[in-house]
Amino acid sequence: MTAMVIDNLHKRYVDRYTGEEIVAIGDVSFSVHEGEFVSILGPSGCGKTTVLNIVAGFIEKTRGTVTVGGTEVTAPGPDRGVVFQSHALFPWKTVLGNVTFGLRMKGMDKARREQAGRDVLELVGLSGFERKYPHELSGGMQQRLGVARVLVNEPAVMLMDEPFASIDAQTRRKLQQDLTALFELRRPTVFFVTHDIEEAVFLSDRVVVLSGRPSTVRDIVEVPLPRPRNWHAAVESTDFRTTVTRIESLLSGEEAHVGDGS
Amino acid sequence: MRIAARVFAHPVVRTLGPFVPVVLLWWLIARSGIVNESFFAGPGVVWSEFIDLVRKGILPSYLSDSVTRLAYGVGFGLLLGIPLGFLVGLNRWARRLTWPVLIFFQAIADIAWLPIVIVWFGFSLTAVTFVIVYTIVFPLTLGVVAGVDQVPDELVRAARSMGASRFRVFLEVIVPGSLPAVASGIRTGLGYGWRALIAAEIIVGTSGIGFMMFDARRVGDVAEVFLGMIILGILWYALDALVLAPFEQATVERWGMVRQVETTR
Ligand SMILES: Nc1ncnc2c1ncn2[C@@H]1O[C@H](COP(=O)(O)OP(=O)(O)O)[C@@H](O)[C@H]1O
Ligand SMILES: [Mg+2]
Repeated sequence: MTAMVIDNLHKRYVDRYTGEEIVAIGDVSFSVHEGEFVSILGPSGCGKTTVLNIVAGFIEKTRGTVTVGGTEVTAPGPDRGVVFQSHALFPWKTVLGNVTFGLRMKGMDKARREQAGRDVLELVGLSGFERKYPHELSGGMQQRLGVARVLVNEPAVMLMDEPFASIDAQTRRKLQQDLTALFELRRPTVFFVTHDIEEAVFLSDRVVVLSGRPSTVRDIVEVPLPRPRNWHAAVESTDFRTTVTRIESLLSGEEAHVGDGS
Repeated sequence: MRIAARVFAHPVVRTLGPFVPVVLLWWLIARSGIVNESFFAGPGVVWSEFIDLVRKGILPSYLSDSVTRLAYGVGFGLLLGIPLGFLVGLNRWARRLTWPVLIFFQAIADIAWLPIVIVWFGFSLTAVTFVIVYTIVFPLTLGVVAGVDQVPDELVRAARSMGASRFRVFLEVIVPGSLPAVASGIRTGLGYGWRALIAAEIIVGTSGIGFMMFDARRVGDVAEVFLGMIILGILWYALDALVLAPFEQATVERWGMVRQVETTR
């Protein structure tokens, strides 16, 4: 089943002060299957966040269609959970209050939502922190909460915009590893934005490689790595290296000549 | 050293300690005779004035008059300023229409209203309340607007994509998210209101701390003037320590939304 379809998406911004027009997205089409992990990769400023924000319903598109679960996207909704680079946790709510927010909006009763909240906190390794406030957590833990808060709602698709970009390199590796394990366990549908090639390859089933602005899809690369995945095995596998190299050459605009992966 | 640290950490010492040198200096100046006694009353004289006015019942009754007026003014001020702030902060049209007007009226100082207010309401509680409400509403409204503006877009977006309706977004995100600025708006508003009260009592008043001070000046009772000033300071300090600071500690500080301010307790 297809979870999400993006068809001939086009986005033009008009600068509020200069009135200048910027075509951020030229023409982008791809789809994500249910239970699939798809990354979108491209140079900074090529419109990745714009694509995600349109899917989330935060901003309007200029042309094209976006459908999630068979219905066209017009506004934000709980079928599309978003994990932000800035975490965007509610500072005035405890960890438990943050993680149960979506369930409360759905009208689930307190006992059930708190149980569900505790379960998902356990899953992301935040058990025991229920009563803490977000500012009392480290950056890595904050983003674990950001993931848990979305996961617990079981959205049709999880949207993640460079969720680990502001986290130190070592913790980032650990978070990527844990996200992979989580994905392999629960099989949510994930649409992931990043500019980090290795991250995209390690996490994804497929990687949508964008050109520079105005962006178009350069290619969609299948990642041939078996699951479960871990960093140690990945960096030593030739499949990992060739996929990374292939995407590097796609991004630098050359044709791939080193072992055409897909 | 550790004993000293413990002594300084004690709430009573921490609260009153900083005033010891102030009172000492005050006492020294009075004692030295640099300033004529009929212009400058020392701590001892002011203290006996205090006991005397309490015994006669004047001070308690004036104090309760002032506090009642402030409570009325503040009550109506909050009731008016907070909803107005959210309306202007959230509604584009309300903002466009009211912003210039808000700025205009904010610029007219509270006491500049007194002459016309006396014409309208006479020397009454209504006149005083009007001035206090006026003084509080503008900083409060502008504070709430600033608070609404400072709520990060992403928090609103996060709530919307977890199924929150616009109304729930207001209750769950805008209100708590704007609280740091709202709290400082309330603080500023109350401070202005407090000053307006005294000014109004001096001009309009027939009772109250402001009236007491000005009346004392008329008969040349410097000690009573000093006493009035000290009471003003103590009242504000008590309001801060008992209401404002605990509220901020329990909310915006607890949530890590503002830097911890010096605690008064
Ligand atoms: N609100 C906006 N108004 C005008 N231009 C914008 C706006 N948001 C993004 N852009 C421009 O669109 C392009 C793509 O931005 P973005 O989607 O954030 O890129 P990425 O996430 O790939 O770094 C950039 O050149 C950016 O300057
Ligand atoms: Mg981006």
